[in-house]
Amino acid sequence: MLGKKTIKGRIGFLLAILLLVSFSLLPFAQILSTSLKHQYDWGNPSLIPQTINFDAYKELLGLTEAKQVEIPAAIQKILNNPKLPQDKKEAIAAKYTANDNLFPFGKYMLNSVIFSVGAATFSLVFSVMGAYSISRLRFKGQVVIQRSVLFVYMVGGVLLMVPLYQMAMNIGLASSLWGSALCIFLIYIVQTLPVGMYMLGNYFRGIPFALEEAAMMDGCSRQEAIIKVVLPLSLPMLATVFIYCFIIGWNEYLFASVFLKQYPEFHTLPLALQELFVSKNAIWDRIMAASMLTLAPIVICFLFASRFMKGGKTDGGVKG
Amino acid sequence: MAAIKLNNIIKNFDKTEVVKGIDLDIKDGEFVVLVGPSGCGKSTILRMIAGLEQATAGEIVIGERVVNDIEPQNRNIAMVFQNYALYPHKSVKENIVFALRRLKVDQDEIERRLKEISEMLQLDALLDRKPADLSGGQRQRVAMGRAIIREADVFLFDEPLSNLDSKLRSHMRTEIGKIHNKFGRTSVYVTHDQVEAMTLADKVVVLHGGHIAQVGTPMEIYLNPVNIFVAQFIGSPSMNIVEGTLFNDHLEIDGYKLPRNKLTNVAYQSNIEGTGMLVKVGIRPDFFNDKAHFPASEETFDFKNIKIDLIEPMGFDKEVLFTLSGQPVKARLDLRSEIKIGQNIDLLVDLSQVLIFDRETEQRL
Amino acid sequence: MIGVSIQSTGEYMTPLEKAEARFGWKLVAPTILILSLLILYPLTYNVYLSFFDVQLNGSKTFVGFENYLKLVSNPDYYAAIWTTTLYLFGTVVGTTLLGLAMALLLRDPFKGRGLVNAAIMLPYVAPVISVVFGWQFLFDPISGVVNYLFVDVLPIWSERSNLIGDPDSALWVVVIFDVWKHAPIAYLLILSKLVSISSEQYEAAAIDGYGPIGRFFHVTLPELYFVLATVVLLRLIWNLNRFEDVYLLAPNVETLPIFTYYQAFTGVIDQGLAAATSVIQLAVLSVFIWFYIKKVMKW
Repeated sequence: MLGKKTIKGRIGFLLAILLLVSFSLLPFAQILSTSLKHQYDWGNPSLIPQTINFDAYKELLGLTEAKQVEIPAAIQKILNNPKLPQDKKEAIAAKYTANDNLFPFGKYMLNSVIFSVGAATFSLVFSVMGAYSISRLRFKGQVVIQRSVLFVYMVGGVLLMVPLYQMAMNIGLASSLWGSALCIFLIYIVQTLPVGMYMLGNYFRGIPFALEEAAMMDGCSRQEAIIKVVLPLSLPMLATVFIYCFIIGWNEYLFASVFLKQYPEFHTLPLALQELFVSKNAIWDRIMAASMLTLAPIVICFLFASRFMKGGKTDGGVKG
Repeated sequence: MAAIKLNNIIKNFDKTEVVKGIDLDIKDGEFVVLVGPSGCGKSTILRMIAGLEQATAGEIVIGERVVNDIEPQNRNIAMVFQNYALYPHKSVKENIVFALRRLKVDQDEIERRLKEISEMLQLDALLDRKPADLSGGQRQRVAMGRAIIREADVFLFDEPLSNLDSKLRSHMRTEIGKIHNKFGRTSVYVTHDQVEAMTLADKVVVLHGGHIAQVGTPMEIYLNPVNIFVAQFIGSPSMNIVEGTLFNDHLEIDGYKLPRNKLTNVAYQSNIEGTGMLVKVGIRPDFFNDKAHFPASEETFDFKNIKIDLIEPMGFDKEVLFTLSGQPVKARLDLRSEIKIGQNIDLLVDLSQVLIFDRETEQRL
Repeated sequence: MIGVSIQSTGEYMTPLEKAEARFGWKLVAPTILILSLLILYPLTYNVYLSFFDVQLNGSKTFVGFENYLKLVSNPDYYAAIWTTTLYLFGTVVGTTLLGLAMALLLRDPFKGRGLVNAAIMLPYVAPVISVVFGWQFLFDPISGVVNYLFVDVLPIWSERSNLIGDPDSALWVVVIFDVWKHAPIAYLLILSKLVSISSEQYEAAAIDGYGPIGRFFHVTLPELYFVLATVVLLRLIWNLNRFEDVYLLAPNVETLPIFTYYQAFTGVIDQGLAAATSVIQLAVLSVFIWFYIKKVMKW
């Protein structure tokens, strides 16, 4: 419409698209590139590595032999001191020999998967119930609940971190390993539930009421109508909401840092990556490889979700 | 099979009264059409019978049961929705047999009924398709099939033809009539289209503003409307209403004096003063005849020298427009009347079909 | 008695309506419970905490309004407000303009639009923690492409500098990062409105003699007015709370959320003060949300 038919217009259009796509993808390209480069190659502004180096990935995924780490001479001296009790010695030695360089990526990923998939599952179940209720059933207080959900949806985590931490402290959850894990789990549910309810509520409102009424005329109770008609029709949206909630949990850093920092065995990927980043130097390739591996599930989910979304299933059943 | 009885049904949405006290008897096997303009409450009444809305007050009886507190799924009712409401994720076949599958009806029985119904509705070739792949008329037939296969006590139709084009609509109308004749189930049919009401109904219920305006057979409603609203709502083109003055012995319209003793449909009042009583007079366009082609008699009145303002040829018929008492009036004549705009014509009217309404209340006198 | 009765108030519910309401409450009950317990109660509790001197281990001493007084006399607080204001201004303007440009560019279908769409949506879905490292590398003073570009290729700057290390420039890096990450949302919102503008309106404007630019100002912009306002409001609401995107990329940029986080969990810990900061921030946020619910959702 805006003169795209002329040659000049076409070239300008293509250039603009190219610029836009480059801007969007440049950081990703940089991550991929650096993760595959040898250290001597980092200063090279070209995105294409001189030689491709998979070491960082191999190391993160545990595909290489654990490197035998040299114990520094100074430490060796301390260890040789006969006055030091044996258990102290072992503790110090363990600190330096026990694959200290190895970043247990698999464990962190598993933690992230457990927290985000678990929370997303609960969130999805509760939001299906809640969204159906506020979008479909008539009862007093419905509007108030609806508005409250929207309000709560927009209240960010920063405003809740102090009171939630204090609440967890008061009932003694924050000071135990499993208590903290439980807190994170609950917090991830509460962070995703309003979003899920909001998305599903809008979606359910779009499903013609007549379909459920038809099911009731066919002898279904309300519950049966939900299970046999509404949910099958909502499958793409259910998948999308699940993925969306999963992404929120997967990406979350703030509460993980507040509740889980002191429990390394429960670190999630964002927390572990940040700890790795601030604790070491000159390990760009490993950081980048870890970033790629953190990114990958999300990109796959996203591509899946956007494909799934296209089959809008309600058209055809109802006109108008 | 069941009769339906509505006892003083009231429905309020929040503070708005939508249905204002409806009493209605529907006999077993009867085909009743609820007709009226939008907002008259007809769909709400249907949905209350179905149980999809709850009556604010009053009693709904289906068969022997008061159903007010019975869930819709337990009322044994089948319904055809305005937008068909087919399950988009199920095939045509699964749409039709959904209710039977739920009831765990024997597989052979399901197949038998499906075969019968799909043949009757010409759906055999479409059974494996999804609703999205069907035309409007096909979806309509699937919706019918889904309702019929249930063998429910009562059939409800909520403006089932309003989304079809006019040709398909008249075809499906005939089909619905046939199906009713075949199965003879109690049916309640909601429409705003008076043609559907006239052609399908055993009994027409005309609704207006949440009240029943009139109940009767299609012909009773057509010939004997109780008020101007019903008179104009039923019949196409709609009834002409003009101002007139009623005297003891005659009815005067724009200088024409119609002898009163022949207006057989009018309650006779002999005590009207000489100044006359202002009334509204209704004459259907169909009851005007061209004097050149129609024998005058004791029962007819001759509107002499009517000047024609406009002619709308419709094929066999033509609608001619003229003015009486300053108001436009339509008459339907056939193709034998060769008249031109601006010409004068003598029109005969069957006096028994001239209806007189109160000027204020618009009720029949 | 079979549910048939006349009422005068309109409060009466038939048994079936009651059953429906009961079912409705049953379904939302878990949601209400969890949201009240973990959001509404904490927000209230936060107000309570703001009147106490609160230690990390949970011990509290009532101090009245002291936290608030400390806050208003703290120059760092005003610095954080100013940083937040600049951050909000930069991100709101940047996101809206870029989103608009993207929507205008990608409105008409062309071959490969699906791929381009996926590419520009990627920054939005990608985990912050992953992409911040890419950005940090881009701005790295020694190896980063940005310094290479502006110092070596186009000598605009005289020497390499650590843009993320310096809080003043880091603020703008963080703004660009946010625009990069959230323009896709603005794009989606604006695009959905843009494609709904009928071509007849453009044809009518063209017949009236408007060129492409005139059509943009006389047809497109007035139609987009509402959705643009929505985008601005949503950016304000979300970015006022933005924590990870700032903290992980440049922890030295102290917007209000970062300021609060530092008060609550690092250095000299003062959770009561952090609570007071959150209370004030919630008040401001509530105004935005109220506007959103009233004006955009029209409830």
